[in-house]
Amino acid sequence: MEARLTGISRRETLKYLGYAGSPLPEDVLEQLSAGEREILQRAAPRVLWRLFDRGPAGELAGTGYTPAGDDIRDLLRDCDQVILMAATLGMETEALLRRTQASDMARAVILDAAASAAIENVCDNLCADLAEAFAPRCLTDRFSPGYGDMPVSQQAELFRLLDISRRIGISLSESGLMVPQKSVTALIGVSDRPQGRRSRGCEACAMSADCAYRKGGTSCGKT
Amino acid sequence: MEKHELIILDGAMGTMLQAAGLPVGQIPELWNCTQPETVAAVHRQYVEAGSRVLYANTFGVNRFKAAGCGRSVAELVEGGVRCARMAADGRDVKVALDIGPLGQLLEPLGTLRFEEAYDAFREILVSGERAGADLVIIETMSDLYEVKAAVLAAKENTALPVWVTMTFEASGRTFLGTTVPAMGLTLSGLGVDAMGFNCSLGPEKLLPLAEELSRWTDRPLILKPNAGLPDPATGAYSMTAEDFARKLAPAQELGVSIFGGCCGTTPAFIRALSGSLKAASAPRRAADRHGVCSAARTASFDGVRVIGERINPTGKKRFQQALREADIDCIAALGIEQQDAGAEILDVNVGLPGIDEPAMMRRVVKALQAVTDLPLQIDSSDPAAIEAGLRAVNGKAIVNSVNGKPEVLAAVLPLCKKYGAAVVGLCMDQDGIPQDWQGRCRIAERILDAALSYGIPREDVLIDCLTLTVSAQQEQAAHTLRAVRYVTEELGLRTVLGVSNISFGLPAREQITLSFLTQALHAGLALPILNPNQAATMDAVAAYRVLSGQDRDAEAYIRRFASVPAQERTTAAPGAGMSIKDAIMRGLRQETKGLTGQALEQMSEMDVVDRLLIPALDAVGESYERQEIFLPQLINAANAACEGFELVKERIAQRGGASVSKGKIVLATVRGDIHDIGKNIVRVVLENYGYTVVDLGRDVPAEKVVEAVIRENVRLVGLSALMTTTVASMAETIAAIRESGHDCRIMVGGAVLTPDYAAQIGADYYARDAKQSADIAKQVLG
Repeated sequence: MEARLTGISRRETLKYLGYAGSPLPEDVLEQLSAGEREILQRAAPRVLWRLFDRGPAGELAGTGYTPAGDDIRDLLRDCDQVILMAATLGMETEALLRRTQASDMARAVILDAAASAAIENVCDNLCADLAEAFAPRCLTDRFSPGYGDMPVSQQAELFRLLDISRRIGISLSESGLMVPQKSVTALIGVSDRPQGRRSRGCEACAMSADCAYRKGGTSCGKT
Repeated sequence: MEKHELIILDGAMGTMLQAAGLPVGQIPELWNCTQPETVAAVHRQYVEAGSRVLYANTFGVNRFKAAGCGRSVAELVEGGVRCARMAADGRDVKVALDIGPLGQLLEPLGTLRFEEAYDAFREILVSGERAGADLVIIETMSDLYEVKAAVLAAKENTALPVWVTMTFEASGRTFLGTTVPAMGLTLSGLGVDAMGFNCSLGPEKLLPLAEELSRWTDRPLILKPNAGLPDPATGAYSMTAEDFARKLAPAQELGVSIFGGCCGTTPAFIRALSGSLKAASAPRRAADRHGVCSAARTASFDGVRVIGERINPTGKKRFQQALREADIDCIAALGIEQQDAGAEILDVNVGLPGIDEPAMMRRVVKALQAVTDLPLQIDSSDPAAIEAGLRAVNGKAIVNSVNGKPEVLAAVLPLCKKYGAAVVGLCMDQDGIPQDWQGRCRIAERILDAALSYGIPREDVLIDCLTLTVSAQQEQAAHTLRAVRYVTEELGLRTVLGVSNISFGLPAREQITLSFLTQALHAGLALPILNPNQAATMDAVAAYRVLSGQDRDAEAYIRRFASVPAQERTTAAPGAGMSIKDAIMRGLRQETKGLTGQALEQMSEMDVVDRLLIPALDAVGESYERQEIFLPQLINAANAACEGFELVKERIAQRGGASVSKGKIVLATVRGDIHDIGKNIVRVVLENYGYTVVDLGRDVPAEKVVEAVIRENVRLVGLSALMTTTVASMAETIAAIRESGHDCRIMVGGAVLTPDYAAQIGADYYARDAKQSADIAKQVLG
């Protein structure tokens, strides 16, 4: 299953920038387009997934790992298998974001927002591909460490089981942060019955680092 | 070991141990101490299958990954080497100390410092040699900088041969962006004994990479691929041992001589290799590509390469001031600017009386590597500064320079050899600069002989025939050009030349400089050192590349001139009737600069700042708060204002005054947090309000913040934290600052913080966004 970055939604990019609907001058629109174009050109998305059977106690068979927390247990209640997934825009994008922060901060915030929209697109595409591949079985929404009551420290288990650093080059810091920043790991349940949709929440969002909505005490409404 | 003799390595270890009952989740190296016989038994299976080099079970042993497992690094390493020795002894089998990635990302993308990585590797290496390893294999690496730390640690602390294999994607780059040429050039230079690829891809996909690598190094080549890719549904590798061996066989025709297997391989794969590979690989062709590089970009020596000269304090007041104030961002910006203008190598000179040059060189090299990917030229006459620069460089650098003086050659050439750098030799010696071309060429020959005697390859010797000022010594221009031709054609060496000095003291300097540059290029000049920001000079280089055939079908030339806008904006003509405030509100940089220049003719610098620039920024801030503009526009405006501030700073530097600042603020993203775009936005905005920001970066421990707060004697500190887990270290940092007794205000910000939470952990102010942090600064500092 190939990583696919098929587009960057302008609406998403603007949301991540905390846009409140004032008129956008021509030169700012051009900056936005240029930023989105640059991410589309420079990103080298990579994805990785693996299927595990889910044991009677909720553990992933043969791994010694049981996903922690009530929320994930609820999500997986009807599932007999679990997919672990990881996706990233790659270090190329990370280096671009960091370098631009040193030279042109206006461009940097736009690139950052566009990259957040891009990694969401890559994850959505992977999930769509998985849903197709597993049909007629049904998939749950994706659920990431840090969301709900699942601690961020669970990242380490996902990294170990998927061999994420070696396979797609994401690095995990001791405090549980991923580099490249525009990376996502998640669990997806597989079952025979359709699953209700669930919110993924701000903690799981690639933009949570600097989301204006969040700091304003609201949310973008997407998740 | 014979260069082309076939050497068979072993296959995977971790999966073999799991098959032998290793509990999931336990680090496999623990068995080196608790079940040595089981580990040795796996090694024996590989020996039986034909392995002549066993990788000790030490891949994951380092102070980061093995922390908390109950055994020390030394115990695990010594146990691992002992297990392999048990299987090897009495046979013609060598034991390699196996070193994998540390698992922590190095600077600049990560936060692990190069020097810390070196220490972590040294610890493993010293134990490994003591335990009896025959060689060192550094493998599965994707960061060339991490490899360099490991190689230097091996060379400086052991006498063992060093092999390196890195992990590439089919794109020809590692995850960190290291290219095959950069790997070949850098590791050959560092004196690695064999190199190649492991893991990542199946055998057939590694063949093109091996062919490319063979053009950049003469060292023996290694391939240790995976058994294809694992099936996501089962985790199993599907390639058969026979298929694996058959697909690797063509590599012998490329001259690859060292083979093994990585993930998914077993003793059966090694047996298949032993049975099917020929006893000797085809002879290697000599490497035919040369050059210098960063990890991600190579400036090959097969055409004209422009060296940017701007990072140099000579005659530049503003740059000198930046050096004295350790304004590293200002220096790094010169790197970005030159790369954008077309420089392919950056000269780095930070020599200034009163500056700790080695320390500054290390800092500037690292700062440049964070913002550009150009190869660097370390420009100094101080061997300690040269070594500090060469050590910090990620890639293969140039040293600028040596000359014909024996003591200079003896001090600098060993450094070039050790770190694998190319070197510029100036055609002068203890008797000065010879006044004829023959004299200069004789010195060039002497420098070449000296370099060769130290083992520096011929193609890494670059000669500077020296440009003298034509207004003072008119006949010298012809001698310089003649010397360039001789060194290029007769000695077969590449030449370097700083060109702009030629026109000093004459009117319309550009005419002389351009004409000289063009003649020098036609005489063979390969590496002109110049100011790439002067478009006419770069135009001349572009034209030369067409005429010399380097720019095939004039593609680059056409691209260069197709993109010139019909009417370029100039600083001379700001929009009629536009005020500085309008220009800043609309984010127009050139206009702001032009208008500031006009204002400075009538007003003092401080008046321009206080009466024009700051009020304009205040208006922008209000507009942002009313949500009439959003974040990119706020920053556009701040950047435009920055142009005005820069002009003010230049004026003040020109008359030798201290820099204008409204006060100093320390900023840091706290320990554990590595995502710092929010803090960086705050920095840009504060700087553009005229404050001096001491940015400590990210993942900053509390004691470093305290130390900086006291050293800089600041009255305001800004801290950012992104995650709930790191707000704890923010609280610790605040407590540490309070405990130090230093009187200052603390403002905090970050996604998970709220005003209540900020008060709870003892902060004085909560800053919701960059605009609010500027308001707080104004309140505290004025």
